[in-house]
Amino acid sequence: MSVTQLPEPLLVPLGASPVPARHLRKKRGDGRWAAIIVFPNLAMFTIFIIVPVLGGLYLSFTSWDITNGFPKWIGLANYRQMFHDPLVWQAAETTLKFIAFGVVPTVIISLWLAMLINFRFRFFTVVRSLYLIPAAMSFAASAVVWRYIFQDGPGYGILDYVITRFGVTNPPDWLASTTWALPALDIITIWLSLPIATVLYLAALQRIPDSVIEASTLDGCGAIRRIRYIIWPGVRYMTPLVAIVALLSFTNGSFDLVRILTQGDPINATQTLIYYIYFESFDFGAWGYAAALSVLQIAIIAGILLILRGLSALVNRW
Amino acid sequence: MVISPRLTRRVRVIVAVVVGVLMSAPLLYMLAGSLMSNSQLSDQPPQFIPNSLHFGNYPAAFSGMTQVIEVRSFVNSLIFTVGVVGLQWVLCITGGLVIAKMRFRSRGLITALFAISLFIPLLTTLIPTFIVTYKLGLINTYPGLILPIAAQTGFGSLLFRQYIKQLPEELFDAARIDGANWWLMLRRLVIPLARPATAAYLAISVLTAWYMFLWPLVAAEGGSLQVLTQTLATVGTTSNQGAVTPQNVIFASVVIVTLPMILVFLAVQPAFMRGLAGSGVD
Repeated sequence: MSVTQLPEPLLVPLGASPVPARHLRKKRGDGRWAAIIVFPNLAMFTIFIIVPVLGGLYLSFTSWDITNGFPKWIGLANYRQMFHDPLVWQAAETTLKFIAFGVVPTVIISLWLAMLINFRFRFFTVVRSLYLIPAAMSFAASAVVWRYIFQDGPGYGILDYVITRFGVTNPPDWLASTTWALPALDIITIWLSLPIATVLYLAALQRIPDSVIEASTLDGCGAIRRIRYIIWPGVRYMTPLVAIVALLSFTNGSFDLVRILTQGDPINATQTLIYYIYFESFDFGAWGYAAALSVLQIAIIAGILLILRGLSALVNRW
Repeated sequence: MVISPRLTRRVRVIVAVVVGVLMSAPLLYMLAGSLMSNSQLSDQPPQFIPNSLHFGNYPAAFSGMTQVIEVRSFVNSLIFTVGVVGLQWVLCITGGLVIAKMRFRSRGLITALFAISLFIPLLTTLIPTFIVTYKLGLINTYPGLILPIAAQTGFGSLLFRQYIKQLPEELFDAARIDGANWWLMLRRLVIPLARPATAAYLAISVLTAWYMFLWPLVAAEGGSLQVLTQTLATVGTTSNQGAVTPQNVIFASVVIVTLPMILVFLAVQPAFMRGLAGSGVD
């Protein structure tokens, strides 16, 4: 849950913050003071963010690994290698699957949860805490707990025990299964992302006046029509923000959980791109190649963000 | 509809409570498991509410053959969190003020840079960040652990910008007429008024820092700077002595690491809700 509150520049064109006309009445700007006050921030930001990003871009055009001590310029060779590396394609596909099967359920379930708790009752604050508390957990801590919940073997895993009670005869091996390992990681990340997403939708729901919902009920509006014509138009503007927050959480989860729980196994079924980058750089020492993979990872995130922006335009009309 | 509104309401409360318990079930199970003996944990059918309580798992997590948590890594986590959050708060509230209220040419550019940086995961710039930190001679030092993370000011600056932007312009005009410069306005006006934004910022950044996994993993190679998340990551595979740590002690350890954050989270929950409710959407 690293980033929960997103600035509006992500939803409106970047850098387009309009300056109200009355601000312009004084001719002299605040340039000198602005420079002094923002200096520490920008200095740190430049040293530890901008320089590494540009450095990474440079490294992606070099051959630099454990065997040679200095980055050597090799042009586009890393990118060429990347396109011919089947593991890259597999990892990119795994990453996209992990994100899609995670973000979409997070959006739907969180809207449902928000609708569920959007009314006043006696122990509202206590019950709301039950929904929010998972947000106070880390990937590492929840990994340890969920590893136990997902444990396989006859009659061991808590989850398998519960679902057999509900009639499932052949419960999956979860983390040890090539089919179920990735969905298992998705379940953990969805669980961790739901609190923030729910709170965001709840904030939007609470702006719909109770009287409007009551009136619709009195008019004989059924649940489905109420959601479609009253609730959804009231909360849809929040959906892109929920999706972006979830996307960030799934980007982080695709490393932490994989590193702790599966290390990319079984048979690369959970090898996400970001874990492959880690593997190539820290276990394999191919830093130049890892830098090129990082550029791909950033490009994928940028692509998803662009799609989300397109979708949000669509969502707001629907 | 023949069902009375009162009954519908009651059903709704029950469903809300049941789903809430399900949502926090993994946490509750962890708490229960931390109080069970190992034979209770492996009982068939599984126990969800322990039939007897074993508090010994907690001291066991700190010492002896089953030690998971070293006091040292607990202290390191504290130093890291306080260092990152404190320093970053100063950088972010000043940065937020500058891009919210001050007029100068490159304001749009700085705002855009902060926004873009949110979507570049640390992992993709890990190696160059490591190199920069190494060149500064800071690897395996507290500043090396803290500074690169405190420098991630994009999110916090935008959060404070969001809040400061909606403070009435008249306040600043009045201060200006009284002869206050920006430094004075920052101290006397912005910091006190932005308290709700600070609360929301704290809720988020304390959690992020306390749980940061990746950077400490590479910036502190030696054991002396290890933080709690690292000790948790290896637990469940092997313990210090190479023996497998019992599951009940593992649960107790996770509770020890998580509890401070749950308390922080519950303490700032109202401010957190307010901060989120008024965020980025107006």
